[in-house]
Amino acid sequence: MEALLTAEGSDYSQGMANAGTDKVVEEEAWIRQAQRADARAFEALYRLHADKIYGLCLRMTGNVSEAEDCTQEAFIQAWNKMDKFRGDSAFATWLHRIAVNAVLGRIRKSKRERDRIQAVADVQPARVSTGDTGELRDLAEAVDRLPERARHVFVLNAVYGYSHEEAAGMLGIAAGTSKAQLHRARRLLVQQLESQGFTA
Amino acid sequence: MTEEFDDKLDRAARQLATEISPERDLWPDIAAAISTPQRSRWTPMFAQAAAVVLLIGASSFLTYVMVKDDRGPGVIIQPELVFEQASFGGNYHLGPGFQDARNGLRAELDVELDRLSPEARDDIQANLDLIHQAIVDINAVLEEEPDNMRLQQMLLQAYREELTLLRRVGGLTRNVMKRNDI
Repeated sequence: MEALLTAEGSDYSQGMANAGTDKVVEEEAWIRQAQRADARAFEALYRLHADKIYGLCLRMTGNVSEAEDCTQEAFIQAWNKMDKFRGDSAFATWLHRIAVNAVLGRIRKSKRERDRIQAVADVQPARVSTGDTGELRDLAEAVDRLPERARHVFVLNAVYGYSHEEAAGMLGIAAGTSKAQLHRARRLLVQQLESQGFTA
Repeated sequence: MTEEFDDKLDRAARQLATEISPERDLWPDIAAAISTPQRSRWTPMFAQAAAVVLLIGASSFLTYVMVKDDRGPGVIIQPELVFEQASFGGNYHLGPGFQDARNGLRAELDVELDRLSPEARDDIQANLDLIHQAIVDINAVLEEEPDNMRLQQMLLQAYREELTLLRRVGGLTRNVMKRNDI
């Protein structure tokens, strides 16, 4: 499964590979220091990656409070597992996997996710600030309303550019299931967006 | 649903923000969580060392069972011979009584081994190698956790196992290790 997360083909990992050399060197130094239990270095890593991880958690949960909790849980788990990071994948990709696990773990532990989906079907959801505007804002809201699995696959595959194999590895499902959920997500998004004038 | 619509949907999805700033600083809670003593850097090595010490105990007993009837007469200790310097995490040293007994037994080991069957000799050497590796491993962890009482006890136990094994081979050691030997 680790091999799936090397993510050579994903846009996200490609973006990390294209980051400035100085930044990468700096990040590597922080990683080494954090692996020696240097909390200040770990805070630097947090500052570098917090927006990425919070963004992923917010897209996956569609809820500010849960996204905050998952982000914190992800970084706490990352701290506890720092000595297991071998650099086989980009640090951001490694963090992403931990964050996805944090989201899934949180969902498994409670029924709140199901309650939230039921709630948003009944009432207008509180606006989640994602920075998206215009049609993108409509799309973001529609993604928030997707059923859990379809939303997770759509976020990882369509938003973050992970392949079906990579997304499936993160979510603990088969690649075929990922493809089916993406198809389902698209169909549901079409239904939502067409009613709002979003046409091809 | 058309391919055209899918393409437009995918293009739009790729434009959604992937980096979003939290509305509040989440670091203070993270910092508080990671500052608690839940995390222990030496736990994996500690677990390995503990496993090695347990293995040593079982293995030493097995060795004893194998060689107890294959042992020749006792050999006189030659305390002037030194096999190796025992360490204790760099901050502690073994007491002179233990060092003398250990050095003497190590010096006689080859003589004793020659009296044993090849099978028993190999087994003893394997056990000693295991003990020495455990001592090295525990000392390495102690370098990072020099005041860790459990590690100190584990190291003491490893040295004790070594001494016990040597004594069983040679039947010579009369010293008993205590905490105040350190």
